[in-house]
Amino acid sequence: MYQALLTRRYLFSKIMPLLAAVAVMLCTTMVLVTWSVMGGFLNMLIGTGRTLTGDVTVMWPTTGFRHYEDLIKRLEADPLVAAAAPMIETPGMINLPGGRTEWIMVRGIDGPSFARVTEYADILWWKPLDKPLPKDKLKLDERLHTTMLGKGWEDVFENGLHLKRPNPETGVDEAAAVLGIEVTKFNKREIGGFYTPYKPLIRTPDGKIRNEMIFMPANGRVTINVLPTDPTGKGVETATAVLPVANEFQSGLYEADNKTVFVRLDVLQRMLRMQPYTSAEPPPLSGEETFATGEQAEALQVPGRVTHVLVKGKGAESDASELKKRVQQVYAEFEATHRGQVPPDPEIRTWREQNAMFIGAVEKETALVMFLFCMISAVAVVLILAIFWSMVAEKTKDIGILRAMGASKLGVAWVWIRYGLVIGVVGGLLGGLTAFLIVHNINPIHEWMGRALDIQIWDPRVYYFTTIPNKIDPTHAAIVVIGFILASGVGAVVPATRAALLHPVRALRFE
Amino acid sequence: MTDSSSPLRGGAPLMRVENLVKTYHLGRIDVPVLRGVSLAIHTGEFVAILGASGSGKSTLLHLLGGLDRPDRPLQGTIEYDGRALHEMSSGELDKYRNQDVGFVFQFYHLLPELTVVENVLLGPMIRYGRLGYMARAGSLRKDAEELLNTVGLGHRLRHRPAELSGGERQRVAIARALINKPRLLLADEPTGNLDHVTGGKILDMLMEIRRQRHQTMVVVTHDEETAKRADRVIRLMDGRVVQG
Repeated sequence: MYQALLTRRYLFSKIMPLLAAVAVMLCTTMVLVTWSVMGGFLNMLIGTGRTLTGDVTVMWPTTGFRHYEDLIKRLEADPLVAAAAPMIETPGMINLPGGRTEWIMVRGIDGPSFARVTEYADILWWKPLDKPLPKDKLKLDERLHTTMLGKGWEDVFENGLHLKRPNPETGVDEAAAVLGIEVTKFNKREIGGFYTPYKPLIRTPDGKIRNEMIFMPANGRVTINVLPTDPTGKGVETATAVLPVANEFQSGLYEADNKTVFVRLDVLQRMLRMQPYTSAEPPPLSGEETFATGEQAEALQVPGRVTHVLVKGKGAESDASELKKRVQQVYAEFEATHRGQVPPDPEIRTWREQNAMFIGAVEKETALVMFLFCMISAVAVVLILAIFWSMVAEKTKDIGILRAMGASKLGVAWVWIRYGLVIGVVGGLLGGLTAFLIVHNINPIHEWMGRALDIQIWDPRVYYFTTIPNKIDPTHAAIVVIGFILASGVGAVVPATRAALLHPVRALRFE
Repeated sequence: MTDSSSPLRGGAPLMRVENLVKTYHLGRIDVPVLRGVSLAIHTGEFVAILGASGSGKSTLLHLLGGLDRPDRPLQGTIEYDGRALHEMSSGELDKYRNQDVGFVFQFYHLLPELTVVENVLLGPMIRYGRLGYMARAGSLRKDAEELLNTVGLGHRLRHRPAELSGGERQRVAIARALINKPRLLLADEPTGNLDHVTGGKILDMLMEIRRQRHQTMVVVTHDEETAKRADRVIRLMDGRVVQG
């Protein structure tokens, strides 16, 4: 009882313990903010990795493999598989309005099936919005209103989903591309979190400079160049396609948003000479293809090729390994059926394995930073030890009085340990609250720093995401706060022991 | 030399000391403080222990109050109510100091962060623990207030020691010493830090308390005037009883 009374009085009678509480608060804030941001970054990385790839991928890059429709059919018949979709992925170049040329990754997809396996429909940017984004207080997002063409956004969304756009003159749907929203640099990211097309300076064909607004899904066209290869991997003549833009996407993964372009699967197949054909109309340079068995391709009805088949499982994210085993089994049966015509041993990986190196690096970096910050936080423990050591010296007479009145050694020690724990509680809770306020508002803070101080710490080109993670895991918060409370108690143990072992007579005579 | 005269002798003494020796070890130097002290204190007695500075009187008081222990190997015995104080465990001594003894010090030794009433209630807080104290909080508070009224500080319950005069602080210390109704009140130079008038008032208060409660008191002093008011004076010189 007297310990509680003395703890309360000591806490507010001196400045030093309050400083110790501030130290605990700052250390708690530091560790929790770091864990939240870096851990959140890792979670975003892991989560976003699945946004564009599904759970498991079967891949045979560059040359691709045939009979993928049969493989997809077999996979979708499996109880563990929710959906499967074909894809081709190849590096390429894009020529943009204004004359700029960029390296990109071109992905050929079938929109609807790709949307079943990934979150493609969700990441299409130009589509109707029912309500504004949380930060768009003034409702300036174009998607809340009619399009620049005076129409609704539903058509633009459908165009993106099916990678098509009607020809403005004939009205006939043309195959179109869907660009990452950062590819063209024609979209400006506003503070509210939405994009607006802005007005670049464009060099016209006659060499003049013009300033005009460009909204690519309305009338923009891009030129895509890819390099098809023969079955041995040798490059053949560059293939070029000029495509209208159907829509743009934003996955949140900067690398994808900046460097990825989707085109229709059949378009890319034709560009890469991977389309199905008959012997009467073989695609150029696609004559005879051999695999391990050296078998010649069939002359009639040669199926098309893709480089990837993406698979989505029915279970949770953690079941990806089980799904991978099942995909391997299905592929083995598929390969047995089409022996000699499909690769015997393609790469079959979970989304985590595909990004293992990067995820592993981030995990290790997170662990290392956390370890270092926890070491630094040992400063808080030492600080409490030092402060309490001097307080015990200052309160020596008090200790003598308590002992003279019959307080036990353990009772006296508990005064100080309790005091340390209270400082830990005060500092830890304040630190947790401060961390919450910082993390919750970290993006506005970062944006303000960029505007007011011209400081940009979080560069999406480096960290892959346009927004900084802003959620605190309650379990992490509990671990950190409780950890610092206990650490504060530990810091008080040595001074508490010293207090308990003071001889009462010497304590009373202490000057 | 032992003290053998006591006007209140009759029955076993409350406290008996035999050949008590205490030496302080300061590094390599041994400082003998008590060199074989024997005495007896009976219930209801007011005993003054008189001696010059360095005579060992405070050390004797500390040993009587269980704040210190005789030298090891055992040199001398201290018995309280038939129990060997020198054989008590640390926990037993804690309990003895809390329930059987009340200390009053020369420099008051109040806890500066606590109020007057909280200082007085420290003893019961230590005695009963959290649950026990909370179960008795009302009556203990009442006892504390009555005691403080008795010593004339009923109107200063919420004041801190820094807001009190020397005499007032000593009165709080007396109330604190008596809250647990100890059988033995030990006062170490209770008026040593007070002026003559205030010191006299404190002494009067102690005498009144002693009369009302039949309190056994041992007062350490170097002041002959204070000693004169005791039932019995034990004179210490160089760690020995020279006169009873």
